[in-house]
Amino acid sequence: MAGINNIIEVSGLVKKFGSLAAVDGVTFDVPEGEFFGFLGPNGAGKTTLIRMLTTLLKPTGGRAVVAGIDVSASPQEVRKKIGVVPQALTSDLDLTGYENMDLYGRFYSIPSRERREKIKNLFEIIGLSNRQNDLVATYSGGMRRRLEIARVLVHAPTVLFLDEPTIGLDPQSRRAVWEFLEKFRKEYSLTIFLSTHYMEEAESLCDRLAIIDNGKIIVLDSPDRLKSELPGNDIIHLTLSDLSMISPVEDKIKGLAFVHNVVAEGEDLRVFVENGAVNFTPLLESVKEAGGIVNSVGIHQLSMEDVFIHHTGKSIREEGGKKVNFFVGAGLPQKLSR
Amino acid sequence: MTRLLAIIERDIKKFVRNPIVVIMSLVMPIVYLVILGNSFQGKLKGLPLAIVDQDSGIYSRRLIDNLRAVEAGARTVSIHMLNDQNAALTGVRNGVYKSALIIPPGFTKSANLRKEPDVGLFLDNTDTVSSIAIKALVNSALNSVREEHVPVRDKPYEFYARNIELYSMVDYYQTLVPGVVIMAIFLGTMTAGVFNLVMDRFLGIDESYLLTPLSKTDIVSGLVISGLFITTLIAFVVLIVSMLITGIPFSKGIEQMFSIFMIIVLTTLALLSLMFVILGRATHPRIVGLSSGFLNVIFFFPSGAIYPIESFPAWLRAFAKVNPEAYAVHALKSVLFKGAGLDVILGDIIFLLIFTNVMMVIAILSFKRTM
Repeated sequence: MAGINNIIEVSGLVKKFGSLAAVDGVTFDVPEGEFFGFLGPNGAGKTTLIRMLTTLLKPTGGRAVVAGIDVSASPQEVRKKIGVVPQALTSDLDLTGYENMDLYGRFYSIPSRERREKIKNLFEIIGLSNRQNDLVATYSGGMRRRLEIARVLVHAPTVLFLDEPTIGLDPQSRRAVWEFLEKFRKEYSLTIFLSTHYMEEAESLCDRLAIIDNGKIIVLDSPDRLKSELPGNDIIHLTLSDLSMISPVEDKIKGLAFVHNVVAEGEDLRVFVENGAVNFTPLLESVKEAGGIVNSVGIHQLSMEDVFIHHTGKSIREEGGKKVNFFVGAGLPQKLSR
Repeated sequence: MTRLLAIIERDIKKFVRNPIVVIMSLVMPIVYLVILGNSFQGKLKGLPLAIVDQDSGIYSRRLIDNLRAVEAGARTVSIHMLNDQNAALTGVRNGVYKSALIIPPGFTKSANLRKEPDVGLFLDNTDTVSSIAIKALVNSALNSVREEHVPVRDKPYEFYARNIELYSMVDYYQTLVPGVVIMAIFLGTMTAGVFNLVMDRFLGIDESYLLTPLSKTDIVSGLVISGLFITTLIAFVVLIVSMLITGIPFSKGIEQMFSIFMIIVLTTLALLSLMFVILGRATHPRIVGLSSGFLNVIFFFPSGAIYPIESFPAWLRAFAKVNPEAYAVHALKSVLFKGAGLDVILGDIIFLLIFTNVMMVIAILSFKRTM
């Protein structure tokens, strides 16, 4: 049993579609006020997990409690406590920004005067007060996303779920969304659950991160600790001219004292090293000795991308060959819980 | 209730804010009425008939006079007198004439000798409607050829039927009005009903609503009520405009007005629920667009709006028995043209009620699986 200040408590959660386990025995807690992130590639199970936590999908096994309520036992009660921003933009294009927000307020039976005040305040926070009476069809993608995040806060939820909130946005709009999320978090004392496959987003926003792949949590901790737990402090990225050279080069450089780990991906080698600036030249010499020809080389400090690669042995990639339903995210046969 | 009202208000706002949809919903049935009413008018007129009189006797002239009388009166044919038989036949083959009547030499003589006088009637039988009409017309004119001019007192005793029309005169143009109103209802249920449902699903809007305390019942009820409101309004506007265009008098009593209202509301509910059953699980609005014309043909033409159901082949008559549009057209015709009361249309009303309930249950079961 988790502590009383946990807003989300998940234990052994499973979702199967036929024989395929999209979420495979996931366990974690999210304490009140935390900005919690799920980082993983497309098809890792993030959206399926969010759909279970937000009552759209019935779990096959395990238990999930949100805001103290079991999602399987009382989905209607859970819906009153949560705000959910799905992956697709779902604001109504034929309504104005204000009408979209007002509609949600009415769904939660908020009295009209209180609704008006809340909507006014939310529009001020997202910086769209001057556009609130314009049709959403005239909004940019970034503006729509800001509106949709504000829209689910009209009823002051306890926890906010965001499924890939910045997907498809340009870098400027993405940063604007991040700023508003921070603002909302402070203003509304929110617990935020974010799923993303953007490393920078996960690193800059989240207090703690779970890396998920193939439906399982691989590792869970704060971004800083995840990085500090990696061996070495720099990454030297090598691209060799020939795939056949990868294996002998990898074997050779693994034996170097300053090399902590080597991850091969195609013709690329990602070498986790101590003090990359100093050990750069000896590394290249060893590669040459092993018969490798280097086409390109780069050096950078450890990032979340490296954390992901270290734990999964691969970089975040697009899952190929699976038909993805753009609008619901998971693209798997889905049976809703009601 | 607040949630339900919010959904209804949203749908009405969305409909009103799409003027093209509003205009198409109103104008299309009326344009249909005007085009169909003027291009397919029930009575055939001005069919070009070539006549070559190679006899020039008393009976051939009498035959031509009989046909001239039709040309001047009912105007079913327009007569073109030719001298050359080949020119007449070529004209039929080239589509200049619908038919060529060749009266051979000796026609009058044969008639005088009480033999079997015959004429040649060359028909463009690729145009079935015209050729049947001309054939009947010429046969009738031929049968009258032998009638002599005799004093009335000497006229032989005849049987004849006295035509008594039970209702005030209704022309073909007016008979189309019930069908056009039902067509407006059909279009309304597509644009204001099922299209909204599928579009919301396509855009992920309905799913985002299901993340709020809004229930499926709220969403479906909201769609049905807003669809009913918008479609009823469209149907009444189309009915009034059609009555003005075709000259149907507005002198209806309260009972008849109530009957018309009930027929429109029940037909809307029946078609809304039927469309939800047929298209409610569609995942792309394009499917609704493509199906619209197809479904309109399937339900509109076997409704009796244009042609009497009794003349259909057995299989189509069987379909008409379960076609809600057939009951709606029958009820609306009865009230509009016969001044029928509720007792006369009770059977139609009961069918529409049962049909709506059955379809609604299927639609809700279907939604539970798909939403």
